[in-house]
Amino acid sequence: MKSLKLPAVSRRGFLGGAAAIGGMTALGLPRAFAAEPEKPRELIVRAWGGSWVDSLKAGVSDSFTKLTGIAIRHDLTEDNEIQPKVWAAVAQKRVPPIHVNWDTTTNATKSALRGVTEDLSDLPNLANVTELAKPVGLDGFPIVNTYGYVYVLAYRPSAFPNGAPKSWKDLLDPKFKGRLAFYNDGIGFHFPAQVAGGGKLDDIPGNMQPAWDFIAKMKEQQPLLGEDPDFTSWFQKGEIDAACTISTNAREARKNGIELAWVVPEEGAKFDTDGLWIPKGLPENELYWAKQYINHALTKEAQQVWLDGLGLPGVVPGLTPPADLVGDPSYPTKPEDFENLIRISSKVQVENESEWFSKFKAIMQG
Amino acid sequence: MRTAPKSYPLSWRILDALERLAAMLWPAGLKGAVPYVMLAPAVLLVGLLVLGLFQIADASLRTLDTTTFLFSEDYSLANYRRALTEPLFAAVAWRSLMAALIVTAVTLIFAFPYAYVMIRTRSPGLRKLLLIALFLPFFIGQVVRAYGWLIILGNQGMVNEALGLVGIAPMRLLYNYPAVLFGLVQYMLPFAVLMLAPALTAIPEEFEAAASSLGANWVRTFVHVVLPLARPGFIGAGVVVVTLSLTDFAIPAILGGGSQDFIANAIYDQFFRTSDQGLGATLTLMLVALGSLVVGLVFTLFGAGTLAMGRARR
Repeated sequence: MKSLKLPAVSRRGFLGGAAAIGGMTALGLPRAFAAEPEKPRELIVRAWGGSWVDSLKAGVSDSFTKLTGIAIRHDLTEDNEIQPKVWAAVAQKRVPPIHVNWDTTTNATKSALRGVTEDLSDLPNLANVTELAKPVGLDGFPIVNTYGYVYVLAYRPSAFPNGAPKSWKDLLDPKFKGRLAFYNDGIGFHFPAQVAGGGKLDDIPGNMQPAWDFIAKMKEQQPLLGEDPDFTSWFQKGEIDAACTISTNAREARKNGIELAWVVPEEGAKFDTDGLWIPKGLPENELYWAKQYINHALTKEAQQVWLDGLGLPGVVPGLTPPADLVGDPSYPTKPEDFENLIRISSKVQVENESEWFSKFKAIMQG
Repeated sequence: MRTAPKSYPLSWRILDALERLAAMLWPAGLKGAVPYVMLAPAVLLVGLLVLGLFQIADASLRTLDTTTFLFSEDYSLANYRRALTEPLFAAVAWRSLMAALIVTAVTLIFAFPYAYVMIRTRSPGLRKLLLIALFLPFFIGQVVRAYGWLIILGNQGMVNEALGLVGIAPMRLLYNYPAVLFGLVQYMLPFAVLMLAPALTAIPEEFEAAASSLGANWVRTFVHVVLPLARPGFIGAGVVVVTLSLTDFAIPAILGGGSQDFIANAIYDQFFRTSDQGLGATLTLMLVALGSLVVGLVFTLFGAGTLAMGRARR
């Protein structure tokens, strides 16, 4: 097991550390790390709002506070909006505005490529995680992926009286004109559109014309374009019948009493990951505790509660799926579950995402 | 007989002391500099904005390297080339400009009678009512108002429910261009009324009475007397509404359903969605240029209106 490098330890820090020996065991740390540096009063963790932050709080933040006494403040600034602030802080050698960023792997990879992320390779609990935790196409662990998720086809069952949609092409039925929704940059839909348009995944990113052709057809359906909260709102208010969205949003909407189901269509659905990372420029003691937070997020206990809330498969072996998601295609656990899911490396996504977003926007805004 | 010192009020003594202090801090010889000193905060503020524009201009000349997500050290016009050649930006710019012009025209048409009645009414009660109705929206932010329209105009909103009562099936009233224009007009109306009101106040009522006594009906009086004299108000209101509409972000984002982006939405996408601050900066400068061009054109053709603080009336 790898060891965390410790900075100079103050007396106060040592005493504080001694008091937390019990907690350290639960954090998955050996007793040698009990002589930890001074604890900050709080750590700031950027998170998404709604059920996302509720799940993080219940699974990771509250238990971390209980173990260490360090309060966790959740900063709900959008991931896209915190990014330039962190980049600017690191470039200007200021202390960054957050300690831990809960981010999409694609966005986090941009930050890693820019060199603003701390190396997390020395987290002890990385010894117990699956391959999913490792960011693809990057050296070491500038990010730790913490779970995977699927961009499913969520639909209102009453709008599909003949049964669940089998293909993304089913959405081209004229009766769904104005009754569909996608993310406003098309995220989650580019890759299945490539297949639905008759193209091959191997042609990504070189030739994505089939995807653009299919998206152009879909544009004729006059879909709504929005963000996570919009989908729930639109389903709730009867504005849409189907959407390409993350399964967590669909599940949350269903929990709130909205008539909703979801499928992974025959062309497949995009599988992606989110992760945690730490920006450079933190004081040594705060960096240490930020790493402990991520290390704690990789324990089986924290993952179980956090991801039960999100309804997503984690990166620690032996997690139990929530009862309502056993056998669900949006909760892949076995290799065969991934056969119909589309996973493209973060590096390819990062290098081409801007162009894909522009292309999608050009079609939809035209 | 001299007044007893105790009759000299305390407030006067304080004022005397303050005057002495002011004379000590700002000698009479510097009196001529007072206007410039008072202007200093505004100059500083504008200076900061100009400094920001220089930084934006610098960023606009740098391209993003998506293998490192750092910006180029060298300057190039690549972002400007993209902004001018990609159909997305042309579509968004055209939509924004058209919306600004349509919203300005419609808003002025609605704002004028409102302002006219508010100024000319003999009923204090009606004037108060119109003033309250005018200022109330200012206490409600733009975003909240836009969400209000979602509730009213949605598929299950009040309007569709009312239509349902007479047997009309729910129809899509939101998430299209007309919905965005509607939201903008509603947002801009108070601004336009506020800009028109001073111009109408400055028109003596006697002018209208004189026209009437000379045989002009109300239409002729309105066309030949009121409208020409209200021109400064129209120009001031028009400039404010056209610039605010052209640069709006929230209304297109909320009422447009994601498919009716304006330039500001495209700028947001570049800064925060694709991390391409160079292209975002380019679009920002082009929006500033477009807005300045429109305002410059209005000033050249019609003068500065009420924004000239009375100079136009000389």
